Amino acid sequence: MSKSLKIKELYPPGDFGIWIVIYVELLTFGLFFIGYAFSRKYNLEMFNTSQLTLDTQSGFVNTLILVTSSYFVVKAVTSIKNMSENNLAQASQTASKWLIAAMIFGGAFLVNKVLEFSTIFGEGITLSTNKFYMFYLLLTMFHFMHVLLGTIVLFNLYSKTKLHGYTPTDCRGLESGASYWHMVDLLWIVLFPLVYIIR
Amino acid sequence: MKKILEAVWILLVIFTIFAFLLGKLELVSSVMVAVLLLSTFIKAQLVIDYFMGLKNVQNKYRFIPTLWLVVVISLIAIAYY
Repeated sequence: MSKSLKIKELYPPGDFGIWIVIYVELLTFGLFFIGYAFSRKYNLEMFNTSQLTLDTQSGFVNTLILVTSSYFVVKAVTSIKNMSENNLAQASQTASKWLIAAMIFGGAFLVNKVLEFSTIFGEGITLSTNKFYMFYLLLTMFHFMHVLLGTIVLFNLYSKTKLHGYTPTDCRGLESGASYWHMVDLLWIVLFPLVYIIR
Repeated sequence: MKKILEAVWILLVIFTIFAFLLGKLELVSSVMVAVLLLSTFIKAQLVIDYFMGLKNVQNKYRFIPTLWLVVVISLIAIAYY
């Protein structure tokens, strides 16, 4: 009975503005994903042949990195939301450690992706090589920029958390940054099977 | 709550390993692509519900990313088949 009567929050976590950003980003990437899928349908052989040159292992590692980093961020938010007045310092310390871990994983994603890009560019592949690489490079580089921005956001969240800047009733900034980071993870969750696996 | 987050993370890792193995072992067939897309849908919905925290928010906010997911995954499936 208590379950069915559970009152839901009126608004999503974080500032309302971040959700507008998230919905717009989802729409933009969604159009790219659909564009990729239908271009593949009409250029099947070329897409399948070109896809063989991708490093699936790197894509796999990056997926693990992002889902784990997302988990670290949600743990940081939970630490802050569950803190009480007596353990403010300890909870902030714990949250900042989760955020450092998330940031390190974000950095690892970027390094791994740079290595992947350097291999691709080293082979003389560019946006105009063919339609597959155009989509692959546009999608992954666009996503890369989001991870880069997300990592910078995580650093700012970490700096404020370390200074005990968030409380359970005043953590909208933390929730906004966390929501953005989860969106980056969500996009990669669709991108990875679509570009690296489905053939 | 703590255990739910851990369980979600483990599921995300398992689904990711599953997708990787499909590609690595070259098991990608029409049937397996359907399974892969379903697992991708579940993964993404888990992130929306538990990491983004939209499960405990009014349905309209959860509905938008879920609708996005349904449309994108469905169109990928239509393009594939």
